[in-house]
Amino acid sequence: MAKITNNGMDRRTFIKTSGIIGMSVAASSFGVPTLLRAAAPTIKIGSVQPATGPLAVIGVGQRRGNQLAVDYINSLGGIKSMDGAKLELLLGDSESKPEIGRSEADRLIRGGAAVMTGPFQSGVAMAISTLCEQRQVPFIMDVAALDKITDKGKKYTFRVFITVTGLLNGGIKYLKMVTDMKGVMPKRAVVTNTADAFGKGMSGGFVKFMEKSGLPIEIVDRVEYPLGIHDLSAEVARIKAAKPDILFPVSRPGDGIILTRELYKQRVELMGIYGPGSPGWYEPDVIKDLDKLIYYVMVNVPWINPSSPVYQQANAAFEKAHNRYLDTNSAYAYTGVLVIADILERAASTDPEKILAATRQTNFTKHPVVGGAIQFDEKGDNTGALTALIQIQPDEDLLKRVKIVAPKEFAQSDKIIFPAPQLWERS
Amino acid sequence: MIAIGLSLIFGVMGVINFAHGQIMVMAMYVSYWIFVLLGMDPYLSLVIVAAVIFALGYLIQFSVVNRILDYPEAMQVLPLVSVGLILENLALLLWGPDHRSPQTALSLKTLWIGPIMIDVSRLIAFGLAILITILIFIYLKKTTTGKRIRAASDNRTGAILVGINVDRIHNAAFGLGAATTAAAGVLLLPLMPISPHMGHDFTLTAFIVVILGGMGNLIGALVGGLILGFAESVSTLWLPATLKQAVSFSILIIIMLFRPQGLFGGKK
Repeated sequence: MAKITNNGMDRRTFIKTSGIIGMSVAASSFGVPTLLRAAAPTIKIGSVQPATGPLAVIGVGQRRGNQLAVDYINSLGGIKSMDGAKLELLLGDSESKPEIGRSEADRLIRGGAAVMTGPFQSGVAMAISTLCEQRQVPFIMDVAALDKITDKGKKYTFRVFITVTGLLNGGIKYLKMVTDMKGVMPKRAVVTNTADAFGKGMSGGFVKFMEKSGLPIEIVDRVEYPLGIHDLSAEVARIKAAKPDILFPVSRPGDGIILTRELYKQRVELMGIYGPGSPGWYEPDVIKDLDKLIYYVMVNVPWINPSSPVYQQANAAFEKAHNRYLDTNSAYAYTGVLVIADILERAASTDPEKILAATRQTNFTKHPVVGGAIQFDEKGDNTGALTALIQIQPDEDLLKRVKIVAPKEFAQSDKIIFPAPQLWERS
Repeated sequence: MIAIGLSLIFGVMGVINFAHGQIMVMAMYVSYWIFVLLGMDPYLSLVIVAAVIFALGYLIQFSVVNRILDYPEAMQVLPLVSVGLILENLALLLWGPDHRSPQTALSLKTLWIGPIMIDVSRLIAFGLAILITILIFIYLKKTTTGKRIRAASDNRTGAILVGINVDRIHNAAFGLGAATTAAAGVLLLPLMPISPHMGHDFTLTAFIVVILGGMGNLIGALVGGLILGFAESVSTLWLPATLKQAVSFSILIIIMLFRPQGLFGGKK
C-alpha cells in the first residue's frame, strides 16, 4: 500500500517539477531575444538534488544554497574572464532515488549544462558520476561522502565534501582528544544506527575504526532500527541492559528526538552522547524541542564556519530570502557553486578539458565552511576537507547553542563538557 | 484506536479508508498548532481536534466516498489513496517537512514502581483509548444516531426503506471514524515527532490490526491492537528492531491462513 502511494506522489511531483522546468526552459529560449543572449552568454550549471521524497527538507536547502551562490556570482558581474558571462542554474530533482537522479542529470546535460553539481546522496552520486564520465561533463559534487564514488580512476568527478573515511578519522581523532583532555575514559559503548545504507555503512565503519584506534572502549551492543521509526522504548530498554558509559548514535532527523526522550524516561546512565557523524542533533527544531535534554551532545560533522566573512555574508542573504539560517548542507551547496565559478574564471572556457585542467589547479580559500583551502587530489577528493567537533551548550539564544569546540582555529567555545550531567539532573 | 476508526468506517460503509493515517497526521498537526499558538495541552485540545477532524471526515465522505460506494472494491481504493496524498501534501505545504515534537507538560513524566518504569503519556493514552472505545460503543448501542449507523451497516437497503437518510448517516459514521483516529493522533503527540510522511505506516498497521481483530469488529480492533503492540515489543528482545514489521506481517499471514475472518469476526 505504501508503495502505491509513494509511486503516485513521486510521479505527480515529477511531472509537476519537470513541467515547471520545461516551461521555464521554453520561456528562456523563446522569451529572450536571441541577440541579447549572444551578447551576454550564460553558463549553465546542472544541479540535481533530492528536492522531493524523504530527504526533501535537505534537498530544498541544497537547491537554495546553489541558487544563492549563482545569484551572488551574477551580482558581482558573472565570470569576468568570459566577458561577464552569467551563471544559470538548471534544476533537477532526484526524488532521493539514484535512477531518477541519473535521468534528471541526463536531461540537464542535454539542456546544455557545462558543469554538474549536487546530489547529496552517495547512491545518486554514483549514478550521475558514471553518466558524467560518459558524456565528459565535469561533475563537482557539493555533498556526497561515500569513498568509492571517486574510485576507479574517474576523470571528470570531483568532490568538495569530505569522504566517509575522512569523517570517521575525524570522529576517532576528536574522541581521543576529548578523553585525553578530560582524563576520563568510557569503558563500555553502544552503537545505534538507522537501517538505511548510510546508517549501516557509517556505523559499521565506525566500529572498525574504533577497533583499529587503540582506544580501550568496548562496543558491547549494536542496536539497529528502521528509518522513520516512531517508538524506541524497546530499543532503549536494550541499551539500558547493556550498561554503556557512552552512546555512539548514527541517526537521521527525527529519531534523535525519540532516542533522547526515551533515554531520559528510562533513566539510562551515560557519561555522554557522541555522534560519530550524522544529523539528528543540531537542527534548530531539534534543539528547540529537546531544550535541556540535548545539552552536551557532541557530534563530529562537516560544519559551517560562522566566523568567516563569506559565511556571514551568505547567511545574511539566505536568512533574508528563506527566513532560516544557512546550515551546513546548504553552505556546502553554496561552496560547490563558488568553487565552480572560481574554476570557470580560471578556465575562461566551457570546454570540458580546459575546465578539468583548471579544476586540478584549484586552490580556493574564500569559503564558508570549516576546513582548509579546497584543493583536489588525483582522485578528485578535497584535501582541505575537515570535520568539526560541535557540542550543544547552554545559551539563552537558541541558535547559538551549537558551538564548535574543535579544531582550535575554528572553535567558538574553549570548554568541552564531558562527562555530562545525567539527563534527569538538569532542572 | 486508529484501528477502531478504520474498523468503524469499514463496518458501516464496507470501504477501506486508505487516507486513514494521513487523517491522523492532520489531527496531530491541528493539535500541534493549538499547542504552539494557544499553549493548550494536547490532552485538553483533544475534543476540539476531534471536532475539527470529524468535520474533515464528514466532508470526505460527503464529497468523495458517498459517490464511490457502489463501485467495485479496487476502484474504491484509488479515490481514498488520492485523498491521502492530498492531505499529506497539504501538511507538507502548511507545516513543511521538518520533524516537530513539542515538549508538553507530561511528555517526559514517568512513574517508577521499584525498577519498573511506567511512561505517564503512554498510561494516559492507554486509559483514554479504552475510555473512548467504551464511549463509542455506548454511543452506537444507545443513541438514535448510533442505532441508525448500525442499521445502515447491517442492511443498507433496509435502512433506506425505514426512512433513514443513509447518506447522512454515512457522513456521520465516517466523521466518527476520523474523529476516533484524531483522538489517537492527539494521544500520540507527546510520544513521537510529527512529519508529513508518517501517515502510511499507521494506515498499514491499523489495517493489520483490523484484519487481526476481524473486519468491522470494534472489540476485535482493540484486542488486535493490544496483541500486535505486545508482539512487536517482545520481538525486539530477541530479534533486531528492523524485523518488527516482519513480525506484524507474519502475524497477518498466519491469521489469513487459519482464520481469515479475524479473531472476533463473524461469518459474512
